[in-house]
Amino acid sequence: MSDELIQIETPFAFNEENQREFDELIGRYPVKEAAMLPTLHIAQRQAGYISPAVMKYVAEQLEVTVMKVKDVVTFYPMFFEEPVGEYVIRVCHTLPCALRDCKGVLEHLKSKLDMDIASETNLAKGTTADGKFTLMKVECLASCDVAPVIMVNDDLYKNLTPEKVDELLAKLAS
Amino acid sequence: MVQERRILYEHLDVPDINTFDVFRQYDGYTRFEKAIAEYQPDDIAKMVMDSGLKGRGGAGFSTGLKWSFVPKDIKPCYLCCNADESEPGTFSNRYVLEKNPHLLIEGILICCYAMGIETTYIYIRGEFTLGKKMLDAAIKEAYEKGYLGKDIRGTGLNIDIYSHPGAGAYICGEETGLIESLEGKRGQPRNKPPFPAVEGVFGKPTVVQNVETLCNLPFIVGNGVEWYTQMGPTYADTRANPPTPDPNTGTKLYCISGDVNEPGVYELDLGLTCSELIEVAGGLRGEEVKAVIPGGSSAPILTHYELDTRLDFTSLTLAKSMLGSGGIIVMNETRNIVDCLLNIMKFYAHESCGQCTPCRWGTPWVRDIVQRIADGNGRKDTMTRPKFGVAENGRWGDTGETEEIYEDLDLLESVANNIANVDTMTWNTICVFGIAVSWPAVSYMRKFRPEFEATIREGKLVTLPVAEATVPPEENYAYQQRFVPKEFADL
Ligand SMILES: Cc1cc2nc3c(=O)[nH]c(=O)nc-3n(C[C@H](O)[C@H](O)[C@H](O)COP(=O)(O)O)c2cc1C
Ligand code: SF4
Ligand code: FES
Repeated sequence: MSDELIQIETPFAFNEENQREFDELIGRYPVKEAAMLPTLHIAQRQAGYISPAVMKYVAEQLEVTVMKVKDVVTFYPMFFEEPVGEYVIRVCHTLPCALRDCKGVLEHLKSKLDMDIASETNLAKGTTADGKFTLMKVECLASCDVAPVIMVNDDLYKNLTPEKVDELLAKLAS
Repeated sequence: MVQERRILYEHLDVPDINTFDVFRQYDGYTRFEKAIAEYQPDDIAKMVMDSGLKGRGGAGFSTGLKWSFVPKDIKPCYLCCNADESEPGTFSNRYVLEKNPHLLIEGILICCYAMGIETTYIYIRGEFTLGKKMLDAAIKEAYEKGYLGKDIRGTGLNIDIYSHPGAGAYICGEETGLIESLEGKRGQPRNKPPFPAVEGVFGKPTVVQNVETLCNLPFIVGNGVEWYTQMGPTYADTRANPPTPDPNTGTKLYCISGDVNEPGVYELDLGLTCSELIEVAGGLRGEEVKAVIPGGSSAPILTHYELDTRLDFTSLTLAKSMLGSGGIIVMNETRNIVDCLLNIMKFYAHESCGQCTPCRWGTPWVRDIVQRIADGNGRKDTMTRPKFGVAENGRWGDTGETEEIYEDLDLLESVANNIANVDTMTWNTICVFGIAVSWPAVSYMRKFRPEFEATIREGKLVTLPVAEATVPPEENYAYQQRFVPKEFADL
């Protein structure tokens, strides 16, 4: 993808606070490219997802090609290339959680929110129409002692049962 | 009952231990001060070598030995702390990061002093948002108090620590994948050699060390090598002359999950048995143990006949399994092993980085075969074939019996063994992710073959009673060597 081919509607730029964080970050590494992951995290926090405009901006900041940024974004599951809901719900479904009935939690969430599960290539499928929730399955969240667990944005919820899921959803809806 | 011995986790639950002042009250940073006041860097490296400390991240490689490979004349040299804990069943590093991050910083300081390192990157898993917040706050405090930065405590040492977030890829836990990821690329592992100790991040010598490994350093320096080596067995390999010590020293943060009453992290001396650990974790939830995964999902499974295996590096290697990351997953009699294998194979098929053909294609293929079996469409031939094994004359050959042909089980083993061969321990891939795929695939299938066969025969998932589901010890390819043999007796 050469830079001219990207259709960019609204250009992206860091806000003041994020710019400061980025400036501090860049000094940590002998090459600018190494700041790629933290920079993309900051950008995603500000923009919600990594759009072509964000990629172009990050590429300029790190002095690499847009293709390189795209290369990285497509490799890591935590970077989204499409808009996601206000609350991203990640349900762990690896073995220790499966032994503690994560399936029940997932099914309950699905039926409560009346939605499908997002896949990595199709986030829209698992996002509610009002843009409030995105539901996805993830691999072990390193909290198997309190399984089954889910993450809602940055917060971890432990030892879940359908009742606790109800409480949580009520809290998020309010 | 075996008692917990909390060393790394001793002060974990002290309120506000994550702050500098409280950490200081509990001997915080005194071990680093002792190191710089009383020892030369080479003395520290020698202490670590003598302590027998083995890496806790997965490979179990001697830390002292790894340090000795780092060339002294190439600068700068980097330390990468591996906090990308993503092996299913492992969760001990998370608590250190969230509750006691200063302990990790002290460990890093000691490592940096010993190796003459000035820059450390802590590669922390992207999902650990709380852990990163606590760690960043602790690093900031350490800078303010003069334990990080330029000319630390007037000694002329300059040490910087930076945290670096990952973004959800399991393979970035592999040391060279971590290095690629740290350089801002896709986390695809590199061919070895060159090993990171010689040519790592930014082309410079790099020490990659797990969080738990580094947290051991303050205690080795603070309490001495003799104190440290008392914990855990040291075997003597008398095949060499004079016998070489084979240390399994120190404590291990065993993470136990699955079907036990009190899952959690238990810090115990290395070398207790599997059944003892289940006992410590509040006993089994259910009637009978069906299977135990001893070292994170990559480790070959143990059957209920093998529960007396000691959970240390040497014993588990002899049992053709591994201690790995110390994540123990227990399964009771209600679990179906085909279903468990399917879950794990889905994980690996999702996490393959896609560089090597055997892994990129083989792993989803293995998953699909297991899926087919679990769906009830497993393939079985109508013919039989002569059964090979140990014949009456005591030699390998035709036993005179016949056996049924389960096509899909043969295929499963063949595909898995062509990613990485579990019998010869050779792999056709760049990194040992390949072994992490074929180890569970082959071991589950061989050790619980009756359950796989029944599932194929019946055309639906069949959960057999434990005794019927497990192959008997004499047919278990890994059973014979569970104990440390005489020539490896305790030193
Ligand atoms: C597929 C794969 C995943 C790994 N994941 C981790 C991990 O999440 N955390 C970790 O500390 N080591 C992990 N390792 C082990 C590292 O490659 C490396 O051996 C370790 O970080 C070295 O540190 P240590 O000697 O202190 O154990 C992994 C290895 C492989 C092959
Ligand atoms: S073995 Fe698999 S994970 Fe490792 S480098 Fe090859 S493709 Fe990537
Ligand atoms: S399997 Fe869900 S947290 Fe580990």
